[in-house]
Amino acid sequence: MKSDFSPYVPRPATLVAKKELNEYVTLFEFAQDSGKPLAHRPGQFIQVSVYGVGEAPFSVSSPPRTDHHHFEIAVRRVGSVTNALHGLEVGAKIGIRGPYGSYFPMQKFVGQDFLFVAGGLGYIPLRSVLHYMLRHRDEFGKLTLLVGTRNPGERIFTDQLAEISKRSDLDVLETVDAPDEEWQGNVGVITTLFPKIRINPETTYVATIGPPVMYRFVIQECSKLGIPQDRIYVSLERRMKCGLGKCGHCQINGLNCCLDGPVFCYTEIAGLGEAL
Amino acid sequence: MIAYTIYLPQIKGLLRKWSQEFEIHVPTRAEGDFFEFRPWTQEVEIAWDYDLAYTTLKKFFLPPKEDILCFNMKDYSANPVINAPRQLLLGVHPYDIKAVNQLDQLMDMDSPDVNYRARRDNTLIFGLEPANVADTAFWSSMGAARVDFGFDLYWTRISPGAFFVQVGSAKGEEMIKLDGPIEKSSVAQKEAARRAHLKILAQAEKRTLKYDWNRVPDQVNKFFSNRTFWMERAKTCLSCGSCNLVCPTCYCFDIQEEADDLLKQGKRYRQWDGCMLTGFAEIAGGHNFRASAWERYRHRYMRKGKYIFDKLGELGCVGCGRCVRACTARIANPREVYNDIWEAIKNEI
Ligand SMILES: Cc1cc2nc3c(=O)[nH]c(=O)nc-3n(C[C@H](O)[C@H](O)[C@H](O)COP(=O)(O)OP(=O)(O)OC[C@H]3O[C@@H](n4cnc5c(N)ncnc54)[C@H](O)[C@@H]3O)c2cc1C
Ligand code: SF4
Ligand code: SF4
Ligand code: FES
Repeated sequence: MKSDFSPYVPRPATLVAKKELNEYVTLFEFAQDSGKPLAHRPGQFIQVSVYGVGEAPFSVSSPPRTDHHHFEIAVRRVGSVTNALHGLEVGAKIGIRGPYGSYFPMQKFVGQDFLFVAGGLGYIPLRSVLHYMLRHRDEFGKLTLLVGTRNPGERIFTDQLAEISKRSDLDVLETVDAPDEEWQGNVGVITTLFPKIRINPETTYVATIGPPVMYRFVIQECSKLGIPQDRIYVSLERRMKCGLGKCGHCQINGLNCCLDGPVFCYTEIAGLGEAL
Repeated sequence: MIAYTIYLPQIKGLLRKWSQEFEIHVPTRAEGDFFEFRPWTQEVEIAWDYDLAYTTLKKFFLPPKEDILCFNMKDYSANPVINAPRQLLLGVHPYDIKAVNQLDQLMDMDSPDVNYRARRDNTLIFGLEPANVADTAFWSSMGAARVDFGFDLYWTRISPGAFFVQVGSAKGEEMIKLDGPIEKSSVAQKEAARRAHLKILAQAEKRTLKYDWNRVPDQVNKFFSNRTFWMERAKTCLSCGSCNLVCPTCYCFDIQEEADDLLKQGKRYRQWDGCMLTGFAEIAGGHNFRASAWERYRHRYMRKGKYIFDKLGELGCVGCGRCVRACTARIANPREVYNDIWEAIKNEI
């Protein structure tokens, strides 16, 4: 039996540009073969197929566009699919499903201040939110970006960070856990940046993404600053296979990270033993 | 309620008719005291009085391994693969029908699973009132002794030679009439079916939950943070996943693929997976969100006892007792887990 539609069928997209961000992470720009915009929202992810190897979830790193069918993902090499992606040459094809999952409610943030807390690869999905806000800069208040990386060699998007750091309408603070000889900036885990920032807890929303160990500490710091829980947003990573709420891999207690997440308001998960 | 009475000698004729359109699967004695659903042929003896089919019937809707996609590695075109044989399951007990009803809802929810739906739509379910209760079963206390829907026909043996057959769908009625005229059931025959139900219910009541199943979600949730309880329980867990495999309401799967030798095309398939297996919640970098066996064990009982309830309003365990049988460590047992929690909470107060 044949059916025209199955949620498991990817659509083709073509690699149009590729840029190494560090030894392990590469930025990929793809174009949907359909010529249509991806129509994602900041924080959503797609399932990427390299046929013959497999499928894996990646956050869309570029901000949404209505005028363009290109989009970006940044991928860290860790296994079969991610290595296969790194091996692709411009012109190669991939399959994509999605966009899937919840997203950052941008409308809610209009007129408000915003604090980004990006640990390691967490910058990749947050970049989608950040660049959306920079593009619609006058709609948002004070913007603060905190970036933490394990060591200078693992920093990503360094050119872009250097560029946006020059802007007067955005505060950028960066730190590394373990510096090398050349590193001149802050040293210490990301929470050591909090005493350096000035924000109004009543008008600030927070979005934080990073490795699993980071969340509790960042949320603690936010609480210390007096930011209410319902102003804190997180995006969580889980193992994902279907992206459709069926396969069970991404469960956080009774929630499906692929459907109910990956973006959660902290109040949605505060009581869940398996969330953070 | 429309019902007909079917006599034993009529059944072979019906089966022959049905087999022209459907693959028929029936309960048979496998080995010793174990029963299994097997394809029906003239020679197969139907085990009308079976207590429990060893493997679950979910395999008919969600096969252990199922192709879902074929792809072309050159032009990146891809097509869905949907295989949905016309099948007829004769002799399905109510707790197993309840499990299918749950799968129906879960698979149709949000993003409907077209592979599941196609198989389900091509399958007829002829329910059967149990005539025996497995020594590990406790379905009567899990709200699974009776189902009001999810079957095309529902059979109850009312005498050695006769069945009271309740109609559950138009297709079911068409099927039961396929081999010539049949007799409408009398009031007395309906009463006999009711008595058969009460009789088996009385037998099933010997092993039950100690309290109303509606309260399980609340009880088990209270124990979520009680690490000692779960660690103690799961101490001998082998993380073998057998309890997942045999469970009619477990449906987690993995997705994998294989390419042909020329690397031109290939297919993607899904395969049963289990939340009790070590790497189930592991992500890149080696972080495992349920690294210990006790966390996975707890997840399974939370899922059956609360998470599914929160979605559907009924428990995700139908009390079939399969996991109890399948667990070599003898620790898989929702009834005991939920009862022990109940006792512990009672004693605390
Ligand atoms: C919502 C979401 C967004 C993500 N965004 C990004 C991103 O922007 N950039 C990025 O580099 N990575 C991202 N990841 C992680 C990325 O999905 C994994 O690195 C990728 O699945 C590994 O695939 P692989 O085939 O290369 O690894 P494999 O060869 O399959 O295995 C390597 C490791 O990855 C783990 N793994 C396998 N499958 C999955 C899976 N489906 N999900 C998570 N871990 C898995 C394995 O347990 C193993 O530890 C994201 C993950 C999620 C859930
Ligand atoms: S958890 Fe055990 S008893 Fe409950 S439905 Fe699954 S296999 Fe049957
Ligand atoms: S509970 Fe029993 S059947 Fe389940 S994984 Fe552990 S040892 Fe295996
Ligand atoms: S990824 Fe399959 S349920 Fe979420």
